[in-house]
Amino acid sequence: MKTPLLVIGGGLSGIAAAIRAARFIPDVLLLEKHHRLGGLNSYFYRHGLLFETGLHAITNYAEPRDKKAPLNRLLRQLKLPRDTFNFLPQRQSEILFHGCASLLFSNDFNLFQEEIKRQFPASADNFAALVAFLDGFDPFVIRPFRSTRQFLVERLREPLLQEMLLCPLLYYGSSHSNDIDLSQFAIMFRAIYQEGMFRPGGNIKEFLDTLRNHYLSLGGSLRTGCGVARIVCSGERVERVILADGEELECDYLLSTIGYHETLRLLAESTAAPPAALAGPRLGFIENIYLLKTPPTAPPLSDKTIIFYNKGDTFSYQRPDQPVDFHSGVICLPGNFAQLPPRLHQEIRSTHLASYPLWRQLADDPAAYLAEKQSSSLRSLVELESVLGPFRETILYENNFTPVTIERYTGKLEGAIYGNPAKIKDGDIGYRNLFLAGTDQGFLGIVGAMLSGVSIVNSQILPNL
Amino acid sequence: MTSTEIQELILEIIQDIDDEADFSDLDPDQPLRDQLDLDSMDFLDIVMELRKRHKLQIPEEDYPRLATLNSCVSYLTPLLHDA
Ligand SMILES: Cc1cc2nc3c(=O)[nH]c(=O)nc-3n(C[C@H](O)[C@H](O)[C@H](O)COP(=O)(O)OP(=O)(O)OC[C@H]3O[C@@H](n4cnc5c(N)ncnc54)[C@H](O)[C@@H]3O)c2cc1C
Repeated sequence: MKTPLLVIGGGLSGIAAAIRAARFIPDVLLLEKHHRLGGLNSYFYRHGLLFETGLHAITNYAEPRDKKAPLNRLLRQLKLPRDTFNFLPQRQSEILFHGCASLLFSNDFNLFQEEIKRQFPASADNFAALVAFLDGFDPFVIRPFRSTRQFLVERLREPLLQEMLLCPLLYYGSSHSNDIDLSQFAIMFRAIYQEGMFRPGGNIKEFLDTLRNHYLSLGGSLRTGCGVARIVCSGERVERVILADGEELECDYLLSTIGYHETLRLLAESTAAPPAALAGPRLGFIENIYLLKTPPTAPPLSDKTIIFYNKGDTFSYQRPDQPVDFHSGVICLPGNFAQLPPRLHQEIRSTHLASYPLWRQLADDPAAYLAEKQSSSLRSLVELESVLGPFRETILYENNFTPVTIERYTGKLEGAIYGNPAKIKDGDIGYRNLFLAGTDQGFLGIVGAMLSGVSIVNSQILPNL
Repeated sequence: MTSTEIQELILEIIQDIDDEADFSDLDPDQPLRDQLDLDSMDFLDIVMELRKRHKLQIPEEDYPRLATLNSCVSYLTPLLHDA
């Protein structure tokens, strides 16, 4: 039987795309090469405990009554009632430039505006004008890349404020070195500063289970442990996919969420479209997780949910020439969400920029690789303690994963969480019935990935059925 | 289907998209979008539901003809007269 729509990749974009399509198309089939769904945002077990791979905080917080907010629109498109989930807002987050300034922000944009007035009085009017500009700017109109750095130089006089504004938005949403596309900046500015952050009350497994069960209840089919090895075309039309075990599946439409070059690789023997130019190197990250012995009733080390730190007054967001760049990072205290029921152990996470090529090289020598992983964990701890105060004595378990780990588990080239620097916003990669959604389409993060899946199904598949 | 049935069908589909939609002050000659806070994504749902329920293929260039409740009725009446 020919499947009307095959979706490759059970990350958040693929799941959302499959749910959206299953509402209207029978027999949608979602293929995920792992045994678990979630992709970059999945989970694993160590020491009998569940660890989340990639959940600090979800952006785009909105109150249930705010129907036009992206989060609620997304849920409506998926036909998931908002009260299916127990979304817990962040407490408060911080942009901390050591020795320079600190700005607090929360899900109340007023706090951030007041902070900027207080710390950057000379830029208060310029900042208000920037907000007014962004409010009137439609980031979803497809435009060529425009440098936000240059844009901010023209709009805000104080360089430190420019750097501080960029730091969280680049970390949570830029595939480009040292810059971000202006449309993506506008999306992220709203998502993080104006709307804010939250997390689901349960863990990511419960969140993914809810999505999976909903998808199945709409009549969709799912195959995990099922990697696609090849896509077979005739001219500009995909005919079928060949799975890793040799099985062949014919389809009318194919949606790939695994990345642009990753998809081209599967098309290798077909007449593929020319690869899009790579706008600079892909960015890699290391993620460290520390689980503390302190009981959940003990006061947390900080009342902040996320702290974006940087040493000095200029923020560098690029592939480092060492395995890890500790000059900046993201610190997450996943316990600091309102009304979160106490967990068995307090957890602290940190993210830093990392060099894929150097980790790749190290991986040839397992002992050296492991040693570098351990020393990176210790080195990150120094940075964490300089912000949070000492806590190393209370560490129960620590764990970290490098760009090499991420590449191995998700197949993302160079383990680059945000994929190819250049994006293909309309999902059109030169085929009549094959489209791209997810990371390389350009909407990033958890809500971004889900919106990407939904919007490519809406624009490229549903109207043409 | 009669005009009234078509009206009910459209309202039922909208209710399904947004269970809090309030039809009490709905003006059948004014755009549904503005009155009910629907965006283009919600609008696509109406088209897709019509397709799912009545096998109607509505080409994209005809979407504007679904703008108001009354324009829906006049556009859909010939298409649904056997339904
Ligand atoms: C450490 C870390 C922290 C993060 N923190 C946050 C955060 O706090 N907030 C936030 O919003 N975002 C966060 N993110 C980013 C977010 O997780 C991603 O942007 C988002 O999940 C991407 O989803 P996706 O569907 O586009 O891609 P992916 O998750 O990569 O999904 C692609 C899927 O395709 C599968 N696949 C690949 N090749 C094949 C094949 N040949 N056949 C079948 N299946 C295949 C992969 O296994 C994978 O499941 C974080 C990511 C990481 C790694």
